[in-house]
Amino acid sequence: MKWRNLIMGLVAFGYAFLYIPVMLLVIYSFNESRLVTVWGGFSFKWYGEVLKNESLLNAAWLSLRIATVNATFAVALGTLAAYSLNRYRRFRGRGGFELLLAAPLVMPDVIIGLSLLLLFVSLEQLIGWPPGRGFTTISIAHITFSLAYAAVVIRGRIGQLDPLLEEAAMDLGAKPFTVFLRITLPLLAPALISAWLLAFTLSLDDLVIASFVSGPGSTTLPMWIYSSVRLGVKPEVNALATLMLLFVVIIVLFSGRIFNRKR
Amino acid sequence: MLKIEGKPLEAWQDPSARPYVQLQRVTRQYGDLYAVDNVSLDIYQGEFFSLLGSSGCGKSTLLRLLAGLEMPSSGRILIDGVDVTDVPPYLRPVNMMFQSYALFPHMSVENNIAFGLKQEKLPALEREQRIDQMLNLLHIESLRKRRPDQLSGGQKQRVALARSLAKLPKLLLLDEPLGALDKRLRENTQFELVNLQEKLGITFVTVTHDQEEAMTMSSRIAVMHEGQIRQVDTPSGIYEFPNSRFVAGFVGSINLFEGRVMQRIDDEVLIEGAEGEHYRMRSYQPLAIGLPVAVAVRPEKVRLSTDLADAPNRIRGKVQDIAYLGDVSIFHLLSASGHKIQMTLTNTRPITEQSLNWGEEVVIEWDADAGVVLTE
Repeated sequence: MKWRNLIMGLVAFGYAFLYIPVMLLVIYSFNESRLVTVWGGFSFKWYGEVLKNESLLNAAWLSLRIATVNATFAVALGTLAAYSLNRYRRFRGRGGFELLLAAPLVMPDVIIGLSLLLLFVSLEQLIGWPPGRGFTTISIAHITFSLAYAAVVIRGRIGQLDPLLEEAAMDLGAKPFTVFLRITLPLLAPALISAWLLAFTLSLDDLVIASFVSGPGSTTLPMWIYSSVRLGVKPEVNALATLMLLFVVIIVLFSGRIFNRKR
Repeated sequence: MLKIEGKPLEAWQDPSARPYVQLQRVTRQYGDLYAVDNVSLDIYQGEFFSLLGSSGCGKSTLLRLLAGLEMPSSGRILIDGVDVTDVPPYLRPVNMMFQSYALFPHMSVENNIAFGLKQEKLPALEREQRIDQMLNLLHIESLRKRRPDQLSGGQKQRVALARSLAKLPKLLLLDEPLGALDKRLRENTQFELVNLQEKLGITFVTVTHDQEEAMTMSSRIAVMHEGQIRQVDTPSGIYEFPNSRFVAGFVGSINLFEGRVMQRIDDEVLIEGAEGEHYRMRSYQPLAIGLPVAVAVRPEKVRLSTDLADAPNRIRGKVQDIAYLGDVSIFHLLSASGHKIQMTLTNTRPITEQSLNWGEEVVIEWDADAGVVLTE
């Protein structure tokens, strides 16, 4: 009984440590006062400020677009990579391919960002593409590392897939591509959705790599928040963070419902 | 084998009949392991053909070779006279029912059955009719909208069968079709499967490790061992006339008496056992004098003898064990020469009246045509 109380206490402390700051952030987003740390009464004022702030809205819109493009490409490429690693047990350079695919998981962001910046700059000098840095370069940078995460998630699911199902489909007259489209893909759907959401979040979250490969006029949301916080935390950042939190919660609940219906 | 007057020849007895499936010296190798070793086999239209063997004997690999899910290392496979050795599974006129059923978990029963029909681009109306027909045939109309995880084992088996039959293949491959069913359901389904096969006229090739199942359902059986086919014959042919000690021992119970050929008397041979006992068996094979052979006699062909004089095929023994199975009793006897002999007697009277008891001395005998002489 004593042990049990101790363990419960530790668990409570752990959760408190994780979530009390978030709760404080949400509460202070409704603060009337201009000072972030002083409670001045309840108000929606800062939410209004957020919606009026054009540079902020631009940054948010850019981030959402990049995150969407990134997640879609990362899932598509990650599926192909995971599928070929799982189904073709032996091919030339398999080991190298596997290693390089997983490398971004452990590579420091600073190195990824710096190396990609060098790549983009020299590419622009050599072939004139990509022209300048912004949406395209950030998206490419994000895809390169999200791809690794997506492949890991999808590989786990492909490993559990019964290969007899694909054989049965082929036996019933489906050509390999049809088998992939009608059998493999639908059975992978839960993993694909998880991987998409993961890649989306990773992109929305990234400050370091985006800072390296973005150019003038292309500020992502994390970059905007970081630069505004450097001059002192403004209450509207709290409001913005609360909105993002709400957005994430909605997505998670929504995807949870999809999974449950599937089952 | 003897041909009965007036009875039409079976396809495999007719030298002019063209086999529907031909395996020509087919081998499938995995590294050093020969899963299928130089197998040649002809299967005829409308047959219910069983591949029988213990696990790992290569019977499933053989089936997968026919489906095109495995490619042979060497040899040719012909279906309906066409060489399909290099044809991928989706272009073969063959469907397969998998042991684990392999139903698509994300599709309803209806869509599982429709899957193959959609691949051959059957018009929607015809497709619907075919689905109805299949659901009807297997009595699963009520399961139409269910998903595989909402089905019992027996229901899954029916859906899997319906799905594999939906394209009306000329050849259906069944991998342990009744393997996952319980005993009662199995026995019912056996007969149903045979009826279905006769009704549709489709050639069935099944894989099974259950000899009773193979005996009940098949027109012919191939007994497989270590990648090779040891004997191909009708169920009664396999049972009554096994061609080797292995097949004799694999299918049913058998008493084997080792000995040497002494003399031929018309269509019978006299054989002397190691202990000096004699056997006199009918055999049409040419057997050299002195050849080591085995006399193989099934337990139910052995009977109690009232004549106590020494004669061939007559053995004195002592009852060691009695297994009462209701309809029959199996007696384990130990002969004076040290042979363990099994004898099955039908319980024509209640067991309490039976005279045979543990430890009792008996004399048993069998007829010259009650067994076979094996050289292999």
